[in-house]
Amino acid sequence: MSVDSLLQGAPFGDRDDAELLDELNALTRWHLDGCPGYRAVWPQFDGARSFDELPYLHVGTFKHRDWRTAGPGLTHQRTLTSSSTTGIASRVVLDAKSGALQSASTASILRAMIGGEQRPLVILDHATALRQRGEVSARVTAALALQPLASSIHFVGGEPIDWQQVVAACRASERVIVYGITWLLWTAWGAADLPNEVRAMLSTRQVQFVHSGGWKRLERLEVGREQFDQALLATAGPGSSVLDFYGLAEQVGVIYPLCGAGFRHVPRWAAVVVRDPWTQQPLLRQPGMLQLLNPLAWGAPYHSVLTEDLGRVVDGPCPCGFGGQRFELLGRLPRAEVRGCGNV
Amino acid sequence: MSEMPVFGGSALALAYDLEARLSEWEAVRVKMARAVADGFTRDEWAYLVQFVSRANLLAAFEQSIGPRGPGPIATTLRPRSPIAVWLPNNVSALGPLVLVLASMTGGVIRVKSGSQSANLCRVFVDYLRANASGGLHDQMQHRVSVEQFDRHDPRNAAMAAAAEVRIAFGSDDAIQAIHALPHPPDSVGISFGDHQSEAWLEAGALDDNAIATMIKVFAIYGRAGCTSPRRAVLLDGTLAQCRTVAARLIAAWPSIVRQDVPMHYASLNVMHQQLNASHGWEVAMAPRSAALVGVAAAEHPAMSGLLSLAIVPATIERAMALLPANIQTIGYCVADPRALVARLAQTAVKRVVPIAQMHHFGPVWDGVNFFRQMFAPVDVSR
Repeated sequence: MSVDSLLQGAPFGDRDDAELLDELNALTRWHLDGCPGYRAVWPQFDGARSFDELPYLHVGTFKHRDWRTAGPGLTHQRTLTSSSTTGIASRVVLDAKSGALQSASTASILRAMIGGEQRPLVILDHATALRQRGEVSARVTAALALQPLASSIHFVGGEPIDWQQVVAACRASERVIVYGITWLLWTAWGAADLPNEVRAMLSTRQVQFVHSGGWKRLERLEVGREQFDQALLATAGPGSSVLDFYGLAEQVGVIYPLCGAGFRHVPRWAAVVVRDPWTQQPLLRQPGMLQLLNPLAWGAPYHSVLTEDLGRVVDGPCPCGFGGQRFELLGRLPRAEVRGCGNV
Repeated sequence: MSEMPVFGGSALALAYDLEARLSEWEAVRVKMARAVADGFTRDEWAYLVQFVSRANLLAAFEQSIGPRGPGPIATTLRPRSPIAVWLPNNVSALGPLVLVLASMTGGVIRVKSGSQSANLCRVFVDYLRANASGGLHDQMQHRVSVEQFDRHDPRNAAMAAAAEVRIAFGSDDAIQAIHALPHPPDSVGISFGDHQSEAWLEAGALDDNAIATMIKVFAIYGRAGCTSPRRAVLLDGTLAQCRTVAARLIAAWPSIVRQDVPMHYASLNVMHQQLNASHGWEVAMAPRSAALVGVAAAEHPAMSGLLSLAIVPATIERAMALLPANIQTIGYCVADPRALVARLAQTAVKRVVPIAQMHHFGPVWDGVNFFRQMFAPVDVSR
């Protein structure tokens, strides 16, 4: 079996755990062989019998060093950089082989959530974000994950939005996709005063809003999910909907959409382990730190990442109808103040 | 008002009765011993209780100015006032400790604390306003203010313009910015900038008690304090001996530090364990992700992480050669410290103390007799 075969078929259903574990074991050995720094972190690894025995890298390590795996058939390309609220961006070295797998993965997940029909894609960002030499932002990568579903792409800026561009996109089709990071979609669209011409046009279009990036900033503004969705849908025509997905720059290729029942769904080619924050022991049904695993990352060891997000895996079938593993995202680790002499 | 107290031949023109004030501190100290004020850790509060004792406060005058007692008066010292104190966001209990010493001048004190910090100074002043009596209460109520604002606030300039003494904690850049504010030409600037400390140990001197002390000294602030050991040097040791010390520290850690570190610190320890391992450190993590202990050669690039304690072997000569320019404290645990102290006195180090005393604060700090500088000599003809 191969990663390609794992990517075949619908993403949300029963997972072949043995097949995925084989892939992840093989991928871990690949990185141990090709990345000396990774080997120094996990020198004792001799195979995992379950997902929770697989090594991981803490998500924060990507802010402090470049991980890179060398191996036959690998061509490293640009570096993916995350937006950061801490001032230090994560850096993930991309490669062609992984890129193809990651594109296939996100396209499959998004098709399952919003359908495969191609529509104009409106991106709340500037096209200049594409033109950074050698680097690409996680924000742009998230937007371009929707590219397979796009008949055309329209960068409409951020704050303020170029509403004429939005109107132009809407003229091309009865159905459009609008992507923005969560806080920007709220401040520039949901909470904004839309021009009458735009409002009139949008009211006749079925808009699929897609957003990612988390609620941290909106929590400060005391904006809840219901208010957020209602404000967006109030600007759009019948049949419009809102999709929130969770993903990390350090897990490019796998996104975890939020279903109507409030759960994040894990595609068959990925796995989620929950760990105790103090012991790192795996937890069943209890909240803890999320470890995200997928077999798509070959150019650097970001196939298994311990995040600083808290969550809980939930057993049993989801009311939404999707099968496979699912989890509840509970937010970020609470921060604690560092006390000292003020000179660190 | 009683006669001016005399220390080291200097009469102090205090605007309060020293004996009465010491008694007031003793009285409030009894109350402090009953419960920890919100915001302080148990260790911080315990140290503060000890710090405000009559003996310790008198010792501040004696260490800084001279022994108390009658004798010829050579000079008169006038408290400089007002005193302005700048505390950055993450400053520790050093803030309240400086406040206590500054208050012994009897002067007006204005404290600017960080805009985001848990404001220990504010907590302590409120505590004293609620629990102190007499002149101590009145001073805290009417002559001490603690405000919280950022470095761009115009109140910074107002503080500097009025102060006879500017005490600035923080990064070197922040301190320079404070002292660059317009200020009275004859005012005094006192700086507590970026310093770091080390522990120097001998394998033979490290009994279980010393291991426990080392853990306590490190765990309270990790490497964030200027007096915290950023690394431990095993004098004339080997890497194998360093590994043994590391293993003993890791094994003893849970029995010495019983409280879990915050969840976020535990997570950061996992991150730094991996980063340090990838950079060649032999890293072990204390149970429940409480801290990291790493072993490598003395020349290895520094470990990362707030709660990362490096153990490195070195000869005394090599350890002295590797001292950072901003070295503050060397905490020692050696069989015979005399020779070590004599040699370290020739370096830039500011303090050489047993490891248990690394965090002890006093009127001479960072090589500056700052308490003495809070007084101005007055030429009085007799």
